[in-house]
Amino acid sequence: MSARPTIAVVGVGLSGPTLQDPRSIPEMVLDAVEAALADARLGFDAPDAVVTASVDLHDGLTASNLAITEVVGAVMKPEMRIAADGLCAAIHAACQIWAGAYDTVLVVAHGKASMAAQSQITQWAMDPAYFQALGIDFDICAALQASAAGLELGEIAPSCDAACAVVLQRALQPRVALRGVGHDLDSHDLGARDLASCSGFSRALSRARRVAELQPDASFDLLESSCRYPHERTLVSRACGVPARSSVGDVPVAAGLMALAAATEQLRRNAAVTRALAHGSWGPAGQGQAVAILEATGEARA
Amino acid sequence: MNRVAIIGTGQSKHARRRDDVSQPELIREAVRAALDDAELTPKEIEAVVLSNMELFEGRMMPELWAAEGAMAVGKPCMKVATGGTSGTSSCIAGYHQVASGLFDVLLVVGFEKHSEGHTQTGMALTDPFWDRAIASGALGNFALSISQLIEERGVTERQAAMVACKARRNATRNPHAHLQIPDITVEQVLSSPMLAQPVRLLDMCPQSDGACAVVLASESIARRRCPKPAWIQAAVTRHDQPFLGDLDRRLAAMPTLRDAARVAYDQAGIREPLVELDVAEIYEPVSYAELAWYEALGFCNEGEAGRLIEDGVTEMDGQLPVNPSGGVLSTNPVGASGVIRVAEAALQLHGRAGEHQVDGARRALATGYGVYAWADVMVLGSEP
Repeated sequence: MSARPTIAVVGVGLSGPTLQDPRSIPEMVLDAVEAALADARLGFDAPDAVVTASVDLHDGLTASNLAITEVVGAVMKPEMRIAADGLCAAIHAACQIWAGAYDTVLVVAHGKASMAAQSQITQWAMDPAYFQALGIDFDICAALQASAAGLELGEIAPSCDAACAVVLQRALQPRVALRGVGHDLDSHDLGARDLASCSGFSRALSRARRVAELQPDASFDLLESSCRYPHERTLVSRACGVPARSSVGDVPVAAGLMALAAATEQLRRNAAVTRALAHGSWGPAGQGQAVAILEATGEARA
Repeated sequence: MNRVAIIGTGQSKHARRRDDVSQPELIREAVRAALDDAELTPKEIEAVVLSNMELFEGRMMPELWAAEGAMAVGKPCMKVATGGTSGTSSCIAGYHQVASGLFDVLLVVGFEKHSEGHTQTGMALTDPFWDRAIASGALGNFALSISQLIEERGVTERQAAMVACKARRNATRNPHAHLQIPDITVEQVLSSPMLAQPVRLLDMCPQSDGACAVVLASESIARRRCPKPAWIQAAVTRHDQPFLGDLDRRLAAMPTLRDAARVAYDQAGIREPLVELDVAEIYEPVSYAELAWYEALGFCNEGEAGRLIEDGVTEMDGQLPVNPSGGVLSTNPVGASGVIRVAEAALQLHGRAGEHQVDGARRALATGYGVYAWADVMVLGSEP
């Protein structure tokens, strides 16, 4: 196996978050894409490929990336669409670059929580045989997890509208490098999981450390977490030993990619931050977990 | 790129209704068959990529519930959803994830249980401003572009009916195929109910409940664990803009499939696809589409697709057998249909296709088609 190329985060762009964006999804996404490409000093046609993240039931659209094909510049290009947290889209884009398939990949995620009844659609994600009839939604799953962990549920972050775009590029001397990625899908059966341990996050982090070739005791200066629930931040923070910062708010699907963008900004601007974790989660009680390890290089500090 | 091969495939029983199993149980059928085929234990699967279109069942993120069925619990797992190309795109996603060096053994699982939802409603949920008022699902918009194809290329109803018959005849030799119509005739197709001019009932694919899984492996694992690995020689995806009214002469033009095929053939070193390919599993949701794809895939020149089917070139005993499995026209669980194309192409190279085996197949094509005009092309070979 050949050595994996180094990946740089060369551009980030954000539209929102806001409680209710009056614009259409393509308008929000175009805003974020243009900002990310401008940040990367790249033209609209520069990316070799695009990876998007969206979820049909959130958007009320079948193959909901159909709505944004033009604004992400994917016409007559390779586009992969991941239906999970946006950080998974970044993980897949990293795989494409590490595989040698593409050099520059645009990653885009959007969520428009204001368009849908979150409680209703998250009920529809639950096992129809055992959970749906009980009216269990993701907030109730979170409360069960908080209770299992001996924590207060606390104040749930309001769900917002936002779009986020990130440009990943094969680079020799990155200012901010994407060193490691890991993701995990835990059991859907809450009774089969140790809800208090957040083991899915630990597995994802362990995989990301391995990819980044970090020692188990290597520390992080920052954890950008996308958690909607305060107790989940506490669990994630305990699992990696880093206080969680959560500047991104709660945006379905987009939050994990927004965490990656926020961590990149910190690595660029805050001299005290040289290694950061970005975190995304999805599903009931964090059934899905995604982690990215980012580092600022010496060159970036100069 | 690091080399990647398909070392195992598995399919569920496909049928109009699978009331005997839940969605995770349906998935488990295919996964268990794929692991048996690859002689792997569940623990040896390092990561999973799933494929499904959630609005067809109306179930939000069904992969969450399906995780156990896919043996994905505690593993890296994400879902790909791009309409009809979901299955081929999930295979391409799995290919890139293994080629990245992150995983040595990865499972791709496609699934759909159309009987639990309303597919036409799901397909009509298009752009709310410009497209939804005229959204007519697969059938309506195919009827429009098929009319253009007939006008431009001179394709006939009888030639399309011959494609429909070929698919269903081939399906009778495939134990997994949903539709089994052993004595189908061209006259039967031509006298079947008209659904939307010029598309008749037997021109269209069915809606199936089903799942399909393939095991992808790195070179070292593939050489050690599989006697005849199906190596991925090319994998290309192309998407087009989203508005039906802006897609010029869709089936006749199909620039996405043409460009994907051009690049894939280049990657695989293919100059004459009709000569150099041994078998093709192409995504034909309607009989006429197969004729259009013959041209887009370079099997013939413009206007010659009808001759290919009339001369038997794409029959089982022809120069290039197309869809020995019976194709999408015989089995269509949408999230799985693209995975089935790749699995059937790999099965031919593994030499395990049973009664629908193409003797001596060493190079196979698999394609995906989705939404209005998205396309995937993969080339598999007996050699890397």
